[in-house]
Amino acid sequence: MYQYNEQDQNLVNQRVEQYRDQTRRFLAGEIPDDEFRGLRLMNGLYIQRFAPMLRVAVPYGLMNSVQVRKLAHIARTYDKNYAHFTTRTNLQFNWPKLEEVPDILAELAEVQMHAIQTSGNCLRNTTTDHFAGILKDEVEDSRPWCEIIRQWTTLHPEFAYLPRKFKIAVTGSSEDRAASQVHDIGLHLVKNDAGEVGFEVLVGGGLGRTPMIGKVIHKFLPKHDLLTYLEAILRVYNLNGRRDNKYKARIKILVDALGIDKFRELVDAEWAEIRGGEMHLTDSEIERIKGFFAPHPYSTDAVNGVAALESKLAEDADFAAWYERNTREHKVDGYRAVIVSLKPYLKAPGDITDVQLDVVADLADKYNFGEIRSTHDQNLVLAHVQAGDLFALWQVMAEHNLARPNIGTLTDMIVCPGFDFCSLANAHTLNVADQINQKFDDLDYLHDIGDIKLNMSGCINACAHHHVAHIGILGVDRKGEDFYQITLGGSSREDASLGKVIGKAVPQADVADTIEKVLQVYVEQREEEERFIDTVRRIGLTPFKERVYAPVN
Amino acid sequence: MPLLINQNVVADDKWLRVDADTLAQHPEAAVIVPFDVFAAEQETLLAGERPLAVQINGDQDFDLVLANLERLSLVVIEFPAFTDGRGFSFARILRRKGFTGEIRATGDVSHDRLEYMTRCGFDAFEISDERFSDETCSVFGEITVHYQGSADDERPIFRR
Repeated sequence: MYQYNEQDQNLVNQRVEQYRDQTRRFLAGEIPDDEFRGLRLMNGLYIQRFAPMLRVAVPYGLMNSVQVRKLAHIARTYDKNYAHFTTRTNLQFNWPKLEEVPDILAELAEVQMHAIQTSGNCLRNTTTDHFAGILKDEVEDSRPWCEIIRQWTTLHPEFAYLPRKFKIAVTGSSEDRAASQVHDIGLHLVKNDAGEVGFEVLVGGGLGRTPMIGKVIHKFLPKHDLLTYLEAILRVYNLNGRRDNKYKARIKILVDALGIDKFRELVDAEWAEIRGGEMHLTDSEIERIKGFFAPHPYSTDAVNGVAALESKLAEDADFAAWYERNTREHKVDGYRAVIVSLKPYLKAPGDITDVQLDVVADLADKYNFGEIRSTHDQNLVLAHVQAGDLFALWQVMAEHNLARPNIGTLTDMIVCPGFDFCSLANAHTLNVADQINQKFDDLDYLHDIGDIKLNMSGCINACAHHHVAHIGILGVDRKGEDFYQITLGGSSREDASLGKVIGKAVPQADVADTIEKVLQVYVEQREEEERFIDTVRRIGLTPFKERVYAPVN
Repeated sequence: MPLLINQNVVADDKWLRVDADTLAQHPEAAVIVPFDVFAAEQETLLAGERPLAVQINGDQDFDLVLANLERLSLVVIEFPAFTDGRGFSFARILRRKGFTGEIRATGDVSHDRLEYMTRCGFDAFEISDERFSDETCSVFGEITVHYQGSADDERPIFRR
């Protein structure tokens, strides 16, 4: 992974001292509240319902064991022994003291981490596929490009006061695990007919109260032009994005209002001014950054562990169930990628304790070259585990409640913290997640239902991406009571689509029962091996509506 | 109101702010003309010889300013709110067009934005009394590492 040089380290150290001084001046009354709000948000600090919340950047979800141990230490020392992974692959601490945040940042800087631009109306953390670099079908590893973008976005002087937040995702394979089509900019590494690698560029996707799928603005952007083209898009947006209404300030609204062709004209005109300029990427810089993401020293003996693995799979059904749901193919024979489930039974999805963080760090050192990844659906990945190590790894993870075999199933939900933590939320989410967990605890049933994406947001801001879930749940407040609107048919993947509302919102007590009715229709109607989303697309919403809203006799 | 030029406090501002009513009262003075007045009186103003400056904000027609840069020695960019980042891009584009005169920030301008503004091409700042302190000038150099190219140095870190 990328390693800081002296300049990178200087930057985060200086940023810590800058923020320390900003905090000091705020506490001394020298910075007004609303202005400090802007400054602290650009450093990931929210004031939430009960306490501040600090969001730590995890660039493109990649961490090492030293960093993860530091996160455990911070959870123990400054917080309530746990932290929370988010859809931007970042990590949140829910109970830091405002006065202590500069000290936390100083500790983070010791391990090449920070909280720069994890919030606020600026360029946010770039995300990517959590299986980047290990896939057979990959055009190219997306992570070096994410690092190039990370450096370009960090403390960008011109784009620190954008009309709204701005999110970029990069993918390197034909499968999309980064929800790239619902980002302000989605970048897809592609090959043209001449065999050259470049980017398909999408712009104007996003969720929130006006969900939209991104539109193609450039079919094949030569890779050396990446930063100049991004800069052209951002400059057009900074100058033309709406600033009169924060709900209409995202780039998706501008692209939609102008039309993609007119928007492209503006970008092209700006790009023509800067295209061959100093920000044009050089071969040596691209190669330098790629050098940090060279393949790990994989063992050529790893395939020898397959026989032992197979006998363990045959004799231990629990292990086999976990292996089937929570591991994935690796391009190197004898290796598997392991998904660490942060969706245990009746715990807040995405939460992890200090002890679990330490366990994951230890396992990464022992079995995974010290590498840990966070995913946009709030899990972790150990991407390079030898077949012969899987059983031992699983045993330790199971002991620490990290091995629930539910990846890709109904209980592998993306859930925002909702009303229990978030000052924006209208409705609770965590108790409804518990309700769903209790209703659908039967593993055989979950595995029979198969691949399904259920996401739940506690308000219209859609932090949990409910619009692009196969089953989306949106909490709404009705005269002080929580109700839940159900959408069906969304996808954040390469076949991206927005879910449609099936009818009036249901009361809190009925959410799990409603989902059960939806699943009954699926089980009755599915054709052989058909995924839930494909059944919904084939038969439409009507059969589901009829079942859910059938009159009670 | 303190005025910073090239990171130093300047005691006297050689520029006089005028409006539609007072423009004619100072026929020789170096004047800062509000954009609306500039747009309405551009023929007369452009034909004259006195030092001329325009004050513009993000809602106004920046292209009209860009079209008349040869006649301008100062462009004042107004930040109606600290959240309004359009002025950063204005300054960047002005420098790209080769404008070598002064670019001055006014409005909601304070300590924590001065360095970003400098990087985008501003070299002068009007700061309200209540937001100015002895520490304000110490902000320059808080962050010395710049990954991106910008108006202060178009080269990104990998070309330096």
